[in-house]
Amino acid sequence: MGKIGLIIKREYTTRVKKKSFLLMTILGPILIVGFLVGAIWLGQQEEKNLKILVLDDTYVLSNTLLQSEKYHLTSSQDEGIENIDDGKTFLKEHDQYDIFLYLPGNIVSGNTSVGKLFYKEAPSSNVQRHLENIVDGSIERLRLKELNISNEDYSRLKNKVQLHTIDVVSNEEKNVGMRAGVGFIFGLMIYMFIFMYGIQVMKGVIEEKSNRIVEVIVSSVKPFELMMGKIIGIMFVGLTQFIIWVLLSLTLTTTLSLTVFPDMMSPQKMAETAKAEQVAVGIELEPVNSETEEIGKEFQDLIFNQIPWGLMIGLFIFYFIGGYLLYGSLMAAVGAAVDSETDTQQFILPITAPLIFGYIVAAMAIDNPNSIAVEWCSQIPFTSPIVMLVRVSMGAEGLALEIITSMVLLIGTFIGTTWIAGRIYRTGILMYGKKASYKEMFKWLRHK
Amino acid sequence: MTNETPIFEAKNIVKEYSGHRALDNVSIKVPKQSIFGLLGPNGAGKTSLIRIINQITAPDSGEILIDGKPLQREHVSQIGYLPEERGLYKKMKIGEQAIYLAQLKGMPKKQAKQELMLWFKKFEIDTWWSKKVEELSKGMAQKIQFITTVIHRPKLLILDEPFSGFDPINTNLVKEEIMKLRDEGATIILSTHNMGSVEEICDNIALINNSKKILGGKVNDVKEQFSEEKYIIEFKGTGVAFANAIWGGWEMVNNEQLGKNHAKATIKLTGGTQLNDFLKGIINAVEIESVNKVIPSMNEIFIRAVENESNSKKEVTNENTNQDG
Repeated sequence: MGKIGLIIKREYTTRVKKKSFLLMTILGPILIVGFLVGAIWLGQQEEKNLKILVLDDTYVLSNTLLQSEKYHLTSSQDEGIENIDDGKTFLKEHDQYDIFLYLPGNIVSGNTSVGKLFYKEAPSSNVQRHLENIVDGSIERLRLKELNISNEDYSRLKNKVQLHTIDVVSNEEKNVGMRAGVGFIFGLMIYMFIFMYGIQVMKGVIEEKSNRIVEVIVSSVKPFELMMGKIIGIMFVGLTQFIIWVLLSLTLTTTLSLTVFPDMMSPQKMAETAKAEQVAVGIELEPVNSETEEIGKEFQDLIFNQIPWGLMIGLFIFYFIGGYLLYGSLMAAVGAAVDSETDTQQFILPITAPLIFGYIVAAMAIDNPNSIAVEWCSQIPFTSPIVMLVRVSMGAEGLALEIITSMVLLIGTFIGTTWIAGRIYRTGILMYGKKASYKEMFKWLRHK
Repeated sequence: MTNETPIFEAKNIVKEYSGHRALDNVSIKVPKQSIFGLLGPNGAGKTSLIRIINQITAPDSGEILIDGKPLQREHVSQIGYLPEERGLYKKMKIGEQAIYLAQLKGMPKKQAKQELMLWFKKFEIDTWWSKKVEELSKGMAQKIQFITTVIHRPKLLILDEPFSGFDPINTNLVKEEIMKLRDEGATIILSTHNMGSVEEICDNIALINNSKKILGGKVNDVKEQFSEEKYIIEFKGTGVAFANAIWGGWEMVNNEQLGKNHAKATIKLTGGTQLNDFLKGIINAVEIESVNKVIPSMNEIFIRAVENESNSKKEVTNENTNQDG
């Protein structure tokens, strides 16, 4: 094994053996899956049933308000309440009601109607929206009656249009938004990886420098070998962690969805949850099942057919490594130029700025994949590792040339940054007791 | 020994750092199997030279020869370097770390482990193998550093302040090991401010000041070069009798009455007076007990050489200003 191999091995094993690595690697996926499951579970939880006291000054609405198990409405007359102040006092003094809903007499007349909702415990926005829908529905029904329109006619009026997006070249139906989302998740992972492990490179360099072991090591190997060994070793640590995360997350979700929550994770169920709000109140219940099935199918189609997985994963690994090498080498240079971690701020900022910018552009790309900013940033090597995958996920057709240019640019740039970093590193690691200025670092570049 | 190819030779080394000349035409020769003292005040350029030998930096001009051959990457495994600014990975286990450092010098893992065990026993630290560096005291860490410097049996050892951080007992232990290594065939370049140890173990020295070599050679020759005609004479009799015995050609540097009729005088001969003539002059006045030549200590030589240098520099600048005026 060459000397650089020894360095890579040391950087890798000392980090992988650390307890914190083990903890992060195992806890990471558990936390992620836990949050995911928790969020879905919470979303599917029935909220507690609400008892609602309704004071209806229109005298017509309360009869048409839709009752449900969850929202139990009682007319205030049943409690002998005639005005708003009595209702408020009653709510305050009696435990059996959660909410007092006041519908003023003019609520049916205007286009924007205002009612009042009094509470003891603040209702969720869901409850508020639901009650608004209930009242809205009643008003609609009332007006339909006035206008003499039948429910069937109204259903026909309320027809909903969906636009299916189809790529004219491949003639495939595609869900652009969801696909961009998948690409964004890939970009996000690269972003996180560069950040986490780039900082580790920097810390590693500072550690060697402040330990004063660096001079011993560079009497055996070239500074450049030491730097590259560190960068590559930490890259393997990141890859290891990443692979374990993916495998562990997959296993966890599969096991969970097969055992504990057999139907929770199904696309149908998820779509139902999403739809539940929309269909809460209508003239008639819309045909929910067919629509949620539609979304479920779409989701499956997205996962299994639309995303070019082979290409995505290949490019993911490439940009993952390329972006990391680019930023990692710059971080190594920063580590070499300072004497302690507290001095790093001024140098880190200009490095992280383009990284964060890339993240913002990638988020923008979900809505507007063909904007000029996105196109440029998918070429510029400092942002391309994060942005390009969002574009590719939406269809790689016609992107071949752009992908190749961006890859070549990335390779060229990281060779450039490693060269620069190597020069700064070489001089910086042996400068003790002071923080270098940009001017000095520029001088180091020209040292023989 | 002088006719042999020196194990190490630096020829006219020049090194500049952004305008500042760290080494100005420095040449030194280190004979095989010797201990060479590389001396000089702080900031004189010693570390720059040492880093060039270790190929951490390259000289702007000049040549380094190892065993007569130009310095190359392969020489790394034949050189052992203990820097002044030295340390270890704090979180790594000592044994693993020592093996790692030996491997970087090109030793196979198995051999490194075997030999490390021997050294650990010799330094009575074999129980530390699985400890982490952060658990050690500074002196303990120094021992590990010394071992990792010599473990690959380098032909040329460069030790920068090897004794700092050691108590007197361990200093002696290390001193003995250094001399043993020399006897076994290694050559040692020792950079230190500890002049006592230079006197004790160095065969040759070079003194660098202000980027230039101002003094060099065998320790005895250098001492000879700096010795003045100074003698310490112990005698029976009085200082007055001694002082009046002979007129001219000498100066009294120091006179100490040791007892009623017993004294010690430090004298300096001037104007080419021979010691024998001087003794003839006083031999009738006092009863001579012993005569010893005063040999300057390395400490004195160091200070005098460096001060002479800066004085002559001042004179030069004064002359220049006078001319300007």
